[in-house]
Amino acid sequence: MSIKNNWWKILAAVMMIYVIIAGFLIPLKPGILTVSPTYIKNGENTSIKVQAYNANYDKEPNLRAWLKFDSTHYLASSQIEVLDHNNLNISFNLNTQIPTTDTIAPVSLIIDSSVDGYSLLPGAISIKNTFDPSLPAFTNSALSDMHAWTGIKFPFRNILYETIRNTFFHVAIWMALFLLSTIAAIYSILFLRDPTKLAYEHRAYSFTAVSLLYGMIGLATGAVWARFTWGAYWTNDVRLNMAAVSVMIYFAYFILRGTITDQDKSKRFAAAFNIFAYVAMIPLLLVIPRLTDSLHPGVGGNPAFSGEDLDNTLRMVFYPAIISMILLGVWMAQIRTRIFKIEERRLLEQEL
Amino acid sequence: MTLEFSIGRMKRRALSLLLFVFSFTQIQAQSGDDFIRSTGKIYAVVAVVLVLFLGILWYLFRLDKKIKHLENHYNNE
Repeated sequence: MSIKNNWWKILAAVMMIYVIIAGFLIPLKPGILTVSPTYIKNGENTSIKVQAYNANYDKEPNLRAWLKFDSTHYLASSQIEVLDHNNLNISFNLNTQIPTTDTIAPVSLIIDSSVDGYSLLPGAISIKNTFDPSLPAFTNSALSDMHAWTGIKFPFRNILYETIRNTFFHVAIWMALFLLSTIAAIYSILFLRDPTKLAYEHRAYSFTAVSLLYGMIGLATGAVWARFTWGAYWTNDVRLNMAAVSVMIYFAYFILRGTITDQDKSKRFAAAFNIFAYVAMIPLLLVIPRLTDSLHPGVGGNPAFSGEDLDNTLRMVFYPAIISMILLGVWMAQIRTRIFKIEERRLLEQEL
Repeated sequence: MTLEFSIGRMKRRALSLLLFVFSFTQIQAQSGDDFIRSTGKIYAVVAVVLVLFLGILWYLFRLDKKIKHLENHYNNE
């Protein structure tokens, strides 16, 4: 086993080790988990209990908090009581008119600390507007000198929390699948152009086999995550069902290739079907889920890999994760191809 | 023969481990939501990595079986 020919296998292993270590050990940024109560009325002073995650509120003497009505209207807190590093009691003077015409106004909570940076819980509290004209007018307080966290930590996202780390496993395996199935489709085209070159067909088969494996792992890991987050292994979500359909089409490739007894015909049919499966996968996985709303992170109108969704600390681990999954897939496909090669040689020897 | 036996055993082990992953999500859900919805959900990440690893392991066992088959043919000739 020479390093010269096998360096990429070592690279795959090293990257995978890096992904697992960095993916698990880099902590999450602080964020707000829950507030209570979540429903309050204006016209009274209100104390809100806040529970945060990974925060260091006890280390910050100058905590500040706001309720955000919209992008121009903020209400600063009147008092902040630090219970411990993760728990706060924040008082707001809501004995005032509020800048909204809604009967129930959803407001976001913003907490700023020089130690942790700022954190925001969107739609944290609903305020019932009493429309009481006797209340004093609203005094707007501007946000100023917000602190941003600059170190290496993964972003804190509601609903996801620690499972944002699944970006390196569940999402990366789907990304690797796209490349592996592309390679399979290319080899299928090459085989159809020259059906005497069985090596192309064998490679197409091997890469499709690994793609299918990755697809099944992708569905299974997604189901496990969904059990923890949505409470069910499977939901009638468009993205989930389309992914399942795509994986089933690839299943059909193996059935097709295995059931037609005429060897030459079955291989050509299978190669043509492989190209169909690849072309069908693109709208099923990339287009249709984006046209509809979905529970899946990153969907609901927006692609998953732009701006806020994938920050630089995630990229630092996410890209090596994709590369290592691809290399591992190529490795497994190569071993499958080598088995084909030996089988073929054996058949030749038997004929002689 | 002994290798084949141990592969069968390990395959069963991998399967039971997979069942274990799914069952622990199930059992904990019945005994209250404190674990499965525990803050942070780091166990969800561990379960996902375990499923991924078991999936790859399953494919490696399949490849192993194919190679074993070829080896047997060559050895018998």
